[in-house]
Amino acid sequence: MTALKILTPDEIVQSYKGEFKNNILDARVEKYVNGLKKNEFFHIWIRIERSAYKDVVKHLFTFEKYPHFAVSSGYDLGDTVELVHHFSLYCGAKSRDISVSFTVSLPKNDLTIDTITDLIPGALISEQEKQEMLGIKVIGIPKDDRVFISEDFPECTYPWRRDETGPDKMVRNLHDEVKE
Amino acid sequence: MKFTMLPRTFAQMFKKPFTNKFPAKYAPASVTGFLKAVGEGKAKMIPPVETPPNFRGKIQYDKESCIGCKLCIKVCPTGAIEFKPEDKKIKIYLARCCFCSQCNDICPKDSLSMSNEFLLADTDKYSKDLIVE
Amino acid sequence: MSKGKTKTSYQIPIGPIHPALKEPVQFNFEIEGEKIVDVDIKLGQVHRSIEWAATKRNPVQVLYLAERICGICSYCHPMAFTLATERVAKIEVPERAQYLRIIHQELERICSHVLWAGVAAHEIGFDTVLFLTWQIRETALDLTEYLCGNRITKGITMIGGVRRDITSDMLPYINEKLNLIKGSWEKLRKIFLEDKTFQLRSQGCGVLTKEDALKLCAVGPLARASGVKKDVRIDQPYFSFGDFDIEYMTPDIVTGEVNGDVYDRIIVRLLEVKQSVELIGESIDRMPEGEIVSEPKLVKLLNQLKKIEGEGIGRMEAPRGEVFHYVKYMNAESPYSWKVRAPTYSNVLPWIPMFMGEQIADIPIVAASTDPCMSCTNRVGIVKNGRQSYMTSEQLHHLSVKKTKELMK
Repeated sequence: MTALKILTPDEIVQSYKGEFKNNILDARVEKYVNGLKKNEFFHIWIRIERSAYKDVVKHLFTFEKYPHFAVSSGYDLGDTVELVHHFSLYCGAKSRDISVSFTVSLPKNDLTIDTITDLIPGALISEQEKQEMLGIKVIGIPKDDRVFISEDFPECTYPWRRDETGPDKMVRNLHDEVKE
Repeated sequence: MKFTMLPRTFAQMFKKPFTNKFPAKYAPASVTGFLKAVGEGKAKMIPPVETPPNFRGKIQYDKESCIGCKLCIKVCPTGAIEFKPEDKKIKIYLARCCFCSQCNDICPKDSLSMSNEFLLADTDKYSKDLIVE
Repeated sequence: MSKGKTKTSYQIPIGPIHPALKEPVQFNFEIEGEKIVDVDIKLGQVHRSIEWAATKRNPVQVLYLAERICGICSYCHPMAFTLATERVAKIEVPERAQYLRIIHQELERICSHVLWAGVAAHEIGFDTVLFLTWQIRETALDLTEYLCGNRITKGITMIGGVRRDITSDMLPYINEKLNLIKGSWEKLRKIFLEDKTFQLRSQGCGVLTKEDALKLCAVGPLARASGVKKDVRIDQPYFSFGDFDIEYMTPDIVTGEVNGDVYDRIIVRLLEVKQSVELIGESIDRMPEGEIVSEPKLVKLLNQLKKIEGEGIGRMEAPRGEVFHYVKYMNAESPYSWKVRAPTYSNVLPWIPMFMGEQIADIPIVAASTDPCMSCTNRVGIVKNGRQSYMTSEQLHHLSVKKTKELMK
């Protein structure tokens, strides 16, 4: 699709380590083999410092003109909220497609991260979702309202959190209530 | 061709309709009344389309062979199975059952099986037709 | 909602009842005369907290929860979850199961695309085609029922394989149904690609350029119709897709050019139905003998899944595009975190450029062309000069039919 050369997953990891040095905390490549013909494909997992997040995403553009953004997922680890941003490179290059996931750790006392919608406009919904589900703040997001949670849902309750701002106080077990 | 659908539409006019008119050619005013009449032999019911082999319908429970191991409760995705501690048997609420037959797979004694009965509509979700024990 | 841009513009909200998506959707259209000048999309009137519910269940229970995310994609969601879980638990899936998984996935694609073709025909008022597609879909559903036991919720997925095998005595029935679908497909192709009604209504309508599709991360047939070669089956050959020589289905295969309009989306989906029928036939021929599940003892499997730790992703090409599941396990009975991204999630933003400049009567067909089952939109309200009046879906549908009739004159 693009004139750029298709790199191997190890070359991509090397490129990141060379460019960002200490901001890459951990990187691993997972190989999957499938089928009778033993086709293989790769998933890359990179853990990065929050400050480098935007540049890390920008660096994806040196591999492909339009990196595909899949989604951001996230979870609460108690002291921190972890965000995992999933991208994929080289769509359209038969069986050479590589999934790249960046994990960013946000401390609970400062839940902010930069927006990437100026680089990839398709990330807007996912960023809005992270704001309402995990209670983080995306700096510079172009549209700052709720997408999935309805307007009458209580403020400061975040469905994916596991602490006191979590949804547990709202849970009712209808089946048990009816039986009693 | 400009109107490719026309010949097929005309051909269809001379064919039998595809729909199986279950339970009667014209919808009865009262279904319970109709079923009663069928039971008395006054009316004839058009049978439903046959279910395929291995269809997952209403659960059947063989109480005798059940050993009360609670494995089915562990895998049931909807929590439709309740344990009765006094006689170590189970009770299945069909209103909650999602007919996945996962409990059939895990049962070590093959006490549970799926029948091909699918007409389970009821106004009361705790009626005795919808509870298997 | 933004205020009117000029004195003549007014707003139409559409939605929010919209059961085909994981979330129902609501549109707010800014209208100038008959032309759409701005769109605002609101999601999530019914968020069912499925991702949260999964953290209270064990992986086998989650399979059936995932199956109920969507009625049409009732196979690809549990399967994507399974893929992610297998990658965390390092479970090897037997070859035969990989082929069986392909068969079920392609069968689902046929059902979904044929259903979509019928809905698209209905949206422009061509109801006779709707009934023809329903006839084909019924054949495909009969086959699904025969292979899985039930028509919609298949319950075929299991971590480490599939739950039901295809035995040799089932083959005559499968081949008979596949031949029926093949024959009907030819008729359907003629109607969709040669009938003037479809060309009039779909050509040049709801255009999504290749650049927009790439920037907004569109997936599935929507992206392919704009010329973007994105298909997870080929990009990352999961299951045994790498054994087959499959191509990206783009509209230039038939027409020689890519316009990215509704017509191109029809072509892509029709081509994919044919591709799927061929894939099923080939898979059945090439399927090796062997086990269908890596660990037949469920209790053992559950104990194994209790002890796993790590994260994994499952990517699959669902009928509507790439479905993406992320799952994290932390040595517990239930997954620690689960993220589901249905294909329409990515295809919401591309709606905005597609609607721009279109007419109100084109809303149903343009919205339907991404396959969110927009036909289920309950009603449309028109806010004109601050007074609100409602249009039922019948009225909106009637408007669409009227436009078809006018074009035919």
